[in-house]
Amino acid sequence: MVDVTQHELVPEHRLLGEDEIEEMLTEYDVKRTNLPKIKRTDPATPDDAELGDVVEIVRDSRTTDRAIIYRLVVS
Amino acid sequence: MTDEVAGYDHVDDDVALVVQDTELPKRLREQVYEAVETREGVTVDQAAEIAQATESRYLDTRVDPLDPVGTVSAQSIGEPGTQMTMNTFHYAGVAEIDVTQGLPRLIELVDARKEPDTPMMTVHLEEEYATDRDRAHEVVWQIEATRILALGNVSTNVADMLVQVDLNEETLAERWPTVDSIDETVERVADTIADALGVETTTRGTVVEFGPSQPSYRELLQLVEQLREIVFKGIDEVSRVVIRREEVEVDGGPETREEFVLYTEGSAFGDVLTIEGVDASRSTCNNIHEIYRQLGVEAARETIINETMETLEEQGLDDVNVRHLMLVADIMTNRGTIESIGRHGISGSKESVLARAAFEVTVNHLLDAAVHGEVDDLNGVIENVIVGKPVAVGTGDVNLKMRAEQLATPGRDAREAEAESEPGVEAEPVDADD
Repeated sequence: MVDVTQHELVPEHRLLGEDEIEEMLTEYDVKRTNLPKIKRTDPATPDDAELGDVVEIVRDSRTTDRAIIYRLVVS
Repeated sequence: MTDEVAGYDHVDDDVALVVQDTELPKRLREQVYEAVETREGVTVDQAAEIAQATESRYLDTRVDPLDPVGTVSAQSIGEPGTQMTMNTFHYAGVAEIDVTQGLPRLIELVDARKEPDTPMMTVHLEEEYATDRDRAHEVVWQIEATRILALGNVSTNVADMLVQVDLNEETLAERWPTVDSIDETVERVADTIADALGVETTTRGTVVEFGPSQPSYRELLQLVEQLREIVFKGIDEVSRVVIRREEVEVDGGPETREEFVLYTEGSAFGDVLTIEGVDASRSTCNNIHEIYRQLGVEAARETIINETMETLEEQGLDDVNVRHLMLVADIMTNRGTIESIGRHGISGSKESVLARAAFEVTVNHLLDAAVHGEVDDLNGVIENVIVGKPVAVGTGDVNLKMRAEQLATPGRDAREAEAESEPGVEAEPVDADD
């Protein structure tokens, strides 16, 4: 199987810790379910991700240097 | 802090400081440095003026709260869309490969079609293969589907009830460069035929012969038909591969090097990534679903942006701001899969009955909603236009409230009252669903 994280179209995906999630949710004043989603079966989802986890994605943005977005892991 | 300007001769630390003092993001700061650099001898005061002017333009272009960005994006893509050509087939700028372009391609992308009209891949090679034409060709034959007509002549001998295939030695040597002898290659081809058609094959030199088990004219012709379908080497879906020598940037830097890049007609992205010699970190294809399956939503989002932008640029409509396309791609990938814009996707899954009914197939939506007893909360834009209420965007979503004591009371100094009466502006956050 090809290592998808190496592909230039795939930005860095990182699993967030529970306290980091809380911090982020308060900062943006959103609920967990308001976040964009990512499938657990998505090739780029970290292997140890479980349902309800939040993945931090650091994109190389077209409009600024880096754009950080979060996706909720769903089935 | 001053590392940022290390590469410039005419930008000193003082200039860097005034530029960094603004709210400009890094990419814009770099453009300011470049402007200072090319003009030479810009004083700190002048640099500060440039930076401030840039900053105020930058702040002006930021989206205001409650701006209907979706509507603006729709307009900004829709208007240039009217200028696009309607004729589909055109040879794209790169390689002699037919690619759907213009409006049909744009529609195909936002509709998230399962299979594009003209699937294609751009295959980059690993260094060792990318600089050597022979090695690059090795990869080409791994990808391009080789059928019998490319390998030699097929003839039917009706008298002996035999199909005879006269293989071309040169072609065999070219397409199986890693096999030592021609005999071995012929043997392989014969085996493939035997496996695929379930017949006994015999070989004489480069000629492979076989026939139906029972003498039958019909079966003989059928065998020939089936023979043409067999893929001896390469990937079924890929009908043609074009090899081109191109200038490629090294690590995104200013340095370039020449390398061979393959363009394919037809795509099988997953299969290609595993082929030896293919650079699995740079190769792409134009089917967003294949990208989604192999690389995930984020890569699919990138591809949607790239493909839509390229389609617009190709038509000379490159002044469409990429942010509009980013918004479209964000919405399409918001739920972790690719959803189309339209009845079967985003518009069809809206909360509001009236919003869905306003889009397409009005009666069906209203009927279904009536059967299920759906309720419309009138939160969105479309619903409110329909019922004639102010829409919840822009100033329509701002409520002005004034405290009773702020009203000028008799006996109070009017000027004093005026000074106090800055009305409190409150914006109620509303779920924007457009």
